[in-house]
Amino acid sequence: MARLKLFYRLMVRPLLREPVRMGLTILAVAIGVALVLAIELAGNAAAGSFHSSMETLAGDYTQEIVAAGGVPDRVVGLLAIEPVPLRVSPRIEDFATAVDSQETLPLIGIDMIAEGSRTMSADATQPGAHPTAEPAEIALKRLEEPTSVWVGSSLKKKTGEHMELLFNDQTLLCTVRGVYADANGSENAIVMDLAGAERALKRQGRVDRILLKIPENVDAGDWQKRIASLLPAGVEIRAQGAGTAENRKMLAAFRWNLRLLSYIALVVGAFLIYNTISISVVRRRAEIGVVRALGASRGTIFVAFVGEAGGIGLAGAILGLPLGRLLAGGAVKLMALTVDLLYVSSRPGPMALTSSSLLLALCIGVGVAVVSALAPSREAMQVSPVDLMARGRREYVARMHKGRDLVIAAVLAMAAALVSRLPAVGGKPLFGYLATIFLIGASAYAIPALVSFVSRMSSGLLRKLFGVEALLASRSLVGSLGRTSVLVGALATAVAMMTSVGIMVGSFRQTVVSWMDHQLPADLYLRPAGQPAADRHPAMSAELTEKIAKLPGVAGMDRLRAYEIDYEGMPVTLASMEAQVLGPYDKSNFFSGRPAAEVLSDLRGQSSVLVSEPFTYKHHVKAGDSIELALGGSRARFQILDVYYDYSSERGTILMDRETLLKYLHDPTPTNVAVFVKAGTKPEEVRREILEAAAGHRILISSDRDLRAEAVRIFDRTFAITYALEAVAVLVAVMGIAGALLALVIDRRRELGLLRFLGATSNQIRKLILVEAGLLGLLANVAGFVLGYFLSLILVFVINKQSFGWTIRFHWPVAVLCGALTVVYAATVLAGLYPAEVAVRLNPLEVVHEE
Amino acid sequence: MVIVSLQGVGKEYVTDGQSVKALDGITLAVQAGEFVALVGRSGCGKSTLLNLAGAMDFPTQGEVLIDGISTCTLDDAGQTKLRREKVGFVFQSFQLLHTLTVLENVELPLLLAGNPAARQEARERLEWVELQGLGERFPHQLSGGQMQRVAIARALVHSPKLLLADEPTGNLDTTTGSLILELLQRLTREQHTATIMATHSIEAAAMSDTLVRLRDGHIEEITRR
Repeated sequence: MARLKLFYRLMVRPLLREPVRMGLTILAVAIGVALVLAIELAGNAAAGSFHSSMETLAGDYTQEIVAAGGVPDRVVGLLAIEPVPLRVSPRIEDFATAVDSQETLPLIGIDMIAEGSRTMSADATQPGAHPTAEPAEIALKRLEEPTSVWVGSSLKKKTGEHMELLFNDQTLLCTVRGVYADANGSENAIVMDLAGAERALKRQGRVDRILLKIPENVDAGDWQKRIASLLPAGVEIRAQGAGTAENRKMLAAFRWNLRLLSYIALVVGAFLIYNTISISVVRRRAEIGVVRALGASRGTIFVAFVGEAGGIGLAGAILGLPLGRLLAGGAVKLMALTVDLLYVSSRPGPMALTSSSLLLALCIGVGVAVVSALAPSREAMQVSPVDLMARGRREYVARMHKGRDLVIAAVLAMAAALVSRLPAVGGKPLFGYLATIFLIGASAYAIPALVSFVSRMSSGLLRKLFGVEALLASRSLVGSLGRTSVLVGALATAVAMMTSVGIMVGSFRQTVVSWMDHQLPADLYLRPAGQPAADRHPAMSAELTEKIAKLPGVAGMDRLRAYEIDYEGMPVTLASMEAQVLGPYDKSNFFSGRPAAEVLSDLRGQSSVLVSEPFTYKHHVKAGDSIELALGGSRARFQILDVYYDYSSERGTILMDRETLLKYLHDPTPTNVAVFVKAGTKPEEVRREILEAAAGHRILISSDRDLRAEAVRIFDRTFAITYALEAVAVLVAVMGIAGALLALVIDRRRELGLLRFLGATSNQIRKLILVEAGLLGLLANVAGFVLGYFLSLILVFVINKQSFGWTIRFHWPVAVLCGALTVVYAATVLAGLYPAEVAVRLNPLEVVHEE
Repeated sequence: MVIVSLQGVGKEYVTDGQSVKALDGITLAVQAGEFVALVGRSGCGKSTLLNLAGAMDFPTQGEVLIDGISTCTLDDAGQTKLRREKVGFVFQSFQLLHTLTVLENVELPLLLAGNPAARQEARERLEWVELQGLGERFPHQLSGGQMQRVAIARALVHSPKLLLADEPTGNLDTTTGSLILELLQRLTREQHTATIMATHSIEAAAMSDTLVRLRDGHIEEITRR
């Protein structure tokens, strides 16, 4: 108790006398904690569901049977006649769009006779279910109607109500027969009878999954083998939910990279805590001496300062918790969009501050603060009481070992260069991350030498250009080199992240834009209406495409068909296109360097495939290798003919000729159609003809220009969260600069008061502080830009490549970088405004005559 | 010629609602070339008197005139201008800027005033205090006596009419202190500056032309030699 009292009087109370500076430091920690927490919560929610409706309505089934392109109906029959106690549930799992709200929902077709009555009537009595749900007997009678649907309660529909749903490219007016409790929307889906779903999707003879319940207390592995022996080639049995696990694994790299970005604000916060504790140590030197002389041990001093930091960290963590929850709400929307567009359809799961997220926030806040305080606290405990209390020695100048630090910086930089060449570990670019940590460390050690060198070299020039205030400012930066270096380091780290991510995103964007120039050779592109997603491939009716092919303005049509399959435990897109049609027009770049027409000509009708770059990276294959695919009841080998660049999705893609795929999967309906217009015909005319032909169908027609613009827009939106994280890191750093400048002003009050005695005006004092802020900003921008360039090399050529498998061509986004650096610089100077006013308001009489 | 004149000057401070009279009824005139010593116990008002005389503060009663200009009529900018042109300060703890060289410290007041000849003037002042070879050194490389001489050079670089020294030998040993006092005395005469020095030191007081004894904010006695 006595120690706590002492701690409060000696450590806490002095902090309360500087509420602005302490507030800024605590806020910086809070923002860092909030960001990390927000990304964690949002990531869990965005990745949390994945067809969770599907999983929920899977009930207690333990196994699932799947096949590329769907499981043939006859497999259900095969299992049904087996004399084994199996419960079998065939499922259609697709998507439908509610036309009024444009909301795309999972569509689940189940055998209502066998299990729907049990499920629906039971759920109708759950809390949250609509009170007007029909009794089970009446519901059973409705099962035969192909337009009967059951919906989740969050759709706010009533039994008997009609709703228009878009299935592929056609709408159907359905009738709501029942409502079930859907856990506030996270388990929302459209449930239909299997036959109705097949009819609505115009899909006959296949189901997406067959769920199985094997008997209790049996060896699941044995049963799996037994059932596998019954299945045709190309159809496999696996544990139920394996697809969800695959999707989560696929998202891991994306989530890791976002996590690391969120840690940057914490790193900046760590610099600021270090600075705060260092200032504390310097200011309280005399007190430390007195307390040591009165019997306190070195350990007590150490614990006191670490405790101060811990207190700041705890306050920051407590403030960061609600802030993080608030930020997570926005973050999950941005992340869910990226997940949907690049990975897999998902509906964000619920977000809640659990005890583990509480613990995460506390550990991060307190942990980072304590670790940052270790060095200055150690310094405080090592100085002797006599030195600390010596009269007349007001300034404690920390010895700066610039030479030694430069050597350490060089070693760390070399280590970064070396480890960046190492391969990924388990698909994660761990050595890439390590290289970035080494580089940030190298820059932190090099900054004191940089500040010292630049200030010394430039003070004469600064004086000539900006007057004596600039001379004083540059000299004072060197005079408090320890503190200045930490400030510059903090802001430089934030600027470096902003620069490196800006270069990476700019390079990626330019790569995608250049790639797209070769990717859209057709004049018009058609697809079913509805929200796109990486794993949703609604199909257009075959008769509509036949009609369009016969239009007078159409020279040719490439019908693309895509399926989601599983390959080596990872989701992959299998697609087909018409090599014969596309050949003359395609200008894609292939790894072999051969012209596209030649490659596509070799592909026609053969058992060859083209694979995308991400596919080769994830599955360690190359041109010339062969892969085995389970397709439609058979297993077939295909040789990889060539590899192409593909930035449309992070999933790998296998592309084959349409003729080849139709041999295995006989569905002729395309998911996208590319239309080549006859020479001399205007694309707008053909667009009108197509719209006429498509009456009664819901399709979207886009020009190549529209698609390019849309692709770039989607690209920018997917990086919105990245930009947000960078901006916050810079904000934290600038706040830190403001707080630290304030501390510098207070610590130099005697010097500032003296200047007033010597004839300095208020404007000259103000100018001095602003020039100092400007110099700090300039040094940080330069150091940050250089560090950012090297970090961008690691991001582009190591982390991105090892995470996603994409080749990105380096590109300088000059305008974006110049704009961003200017904004940061301006913000830094503006951060000096308040400290400048504090400096002007100092009473020179009070500060100079302190003895 | 009277350089600084305090007429019925009083200074009152209000702290936590309590009024404290630091000075009361001070009347004093200092001539050009006169070396005045202010003596008295700690808290008797010496520093306050120096602040008022140097246009660093305003009296609550009476008037302070520096070279005929009343400080009460001046705003902050006017006071600053007056100090730049007419007043120099020397402090007990030297108050040099450790990030500037000796030469840069000395020329600082002229640089703040925008004087283009600052460097030349500063070199000359260093000669006055016999430190011409140490211009490129930093304060932490000097002894206490040397630092105080630099401070004196700085205080005189703009040729002020009034020099105010607050315990200039307080941080120095006796021998060094005596040297500093002799320097101050010499410069006062040579430059025809009016010097007011606050001091506890009897030796310092003995070197002055006029001894002003303060007690509890009043002038107890003025002895002119």
